[in-house]
Amino acid sequence: MINAYNFAFFDEGSKREIRRATLKAIALPGYQVPFASREMPIGRGWGTGGLQLTLSLIGREDVLKVIDQGSDESVNAVSIKKLVSDTTGVQITEHTSQATIIQSRHRIPEVPLKKEQILVLQVPLPEPLRYFESSEHETKKLHAEKEYSGAWLMLFEQIMKYGSMTTGADHPVMVHGRYVMAPSPIPRFDNPKMDENEALILLGAGREKKIYAVPPFTRIVSLDFEDYPFEKESFDGKCCRLCGSEGVFLDELIDEATGEVYYQCNDTSYCYEILNKDEKAGVN
Amino acid sequence: MKLDVVHDLQSVYRKLVDSTSRPGLISDLGKEAALLDGENAAGCSRSLLLLALTLLDPEVTFKVYGSEAEAVEGEINQLTFAKAVQADQADYLFLLKDAGAGYLEHAIENANPGTFANPHKSAVIIAETGAITEGDNLLLSGPGIQTKIGINVELAGDWIEKRNEKNREYPTGVDLVFVDRNHQLLSLPRTTQITESREVEKEWVM
Repeated sequence: MINAYNFAFFDEGSKREIRRATLKAIALPGYQVPFASREMPIGRGWGTGGLQLTLSLIGREDVLKVIDQGSDESVNAVSIKKLVSDTTGVQITEHTSQATIIQSRHRIPEVPLKKEQILVLQVPLPEPLRYFESSEHETKKLHAEKEYSGAWLMLFEQIMKYGSMTTGADHPVMVHGRYVMAPSPIPRFDNPKMDENEALILLGAGREKKIYAVPPFTRIVSLDFEDYPFEKESFDGKCCRLCGSEGVFLDELIDEATGEVYYQCNDTSYCYEILNKDEKAGVN
Repeated sequence: MKLDVVHDLQSVYRKLVDSTSRPGLISDLGKEAALLDGENAAGCSRSLLLLALTLLDPEVTFKVYGSEAEAVEGEINQLTFAKAVQADQADYLFLLKDAGAGYLEHAIENANPGTFANPHKSAVIIAETGAITEGDNLLLSGPGIQTKIGINVELAGDWIEKRNEKNREYPTGVDLVFVDRNHQLLSLPRTTQITESREVEKEWVM
């Protein structure tokens, strides 16, 4: 642990400001609370929003897990883990079920979250209406008036052009019947996991200086139409080539030598856990 | 032992996060409050002071209600450098136990509810109340609560009605935080619906 910095890198004033914004965000599910995003030793847009939330939350007793698009070992996840553990000395884990704070980029873990856990999501673009309205002043007004026809129109245009909603990730959701929210670029596969989730979900956008939240047991509905219902990615008939899991989010990979297409769990720690369990059973 | 402004206030904050994200969940600030012993000359409870230390700094404003209001305002200002202002401008309103009947209603009525464009600019009311225990006098529902959760708060007056009135036009409204003498903390964000069980019985008969 590096003692040259205050515990959790930030000075107490910075933490307090983030904490006040976070509490307001919890009281207003889906509403983007502006905050004074601090300078960080990593670039804006590289997870600084999530990192600031994590640092304002974390205590000595916490166990931290950081994942980047399902992987515990990608450069970004490792750097963030290093920064937090260097400045706090907290325990780091790869097991989803053992973590108390899970910071994630673009995925909600496969293992269901528990009451004691907080999921922190990194958000590049927190404004779901930005696609068709470039002015922050205007989008704020649209949220204030619950004027979301633009969001529906965006989906409608996709259907007209391509025959289906083409939001690969970051499919907008309605929170508690009031705010349309960007769930961060999680695949559509993860959207239903947000609905009535057991854990508190906090979302932080460092570059855009916004914090928002989904409290536990909050109604989250992915925007759709009666005749074009929301559909998550389907992996029917496919399974992970390593652990054999079905019904999880799979990455499609191509063997360059043979050209063969194969699938693998996107959530690496989940995959390892399944593999290790199998192994143990085999030895016994 | 002395209060550690880094670690003990972090733990107060996490309890506040837990209680706010799961309204009806009572958090115990007893451990941190015990560390404040002997540091609090003014007339407010230690848990109230802990919350002030956790949330306040020169960037925000506050107001205290109660017979010792001025002394407590002085103390909080000295400790946090936050500025005491009029009720309708304050970001945080603190109500001492002896503020008397009607003060919570008064505070709810006067507190800043924020605007539709900026509902986060609304006030938080932090009040000392009678005992906060698990029970079924008040039934809570809303985000953070799976179905319903019961709670008992020893608090007279028609604050629930006043709160309903204030929070009628969601997302504007005020968030309430209650602490009792035993440092039990209850948080009631504006999204929480409160039903008095008397009304439930009435509905049942009908």
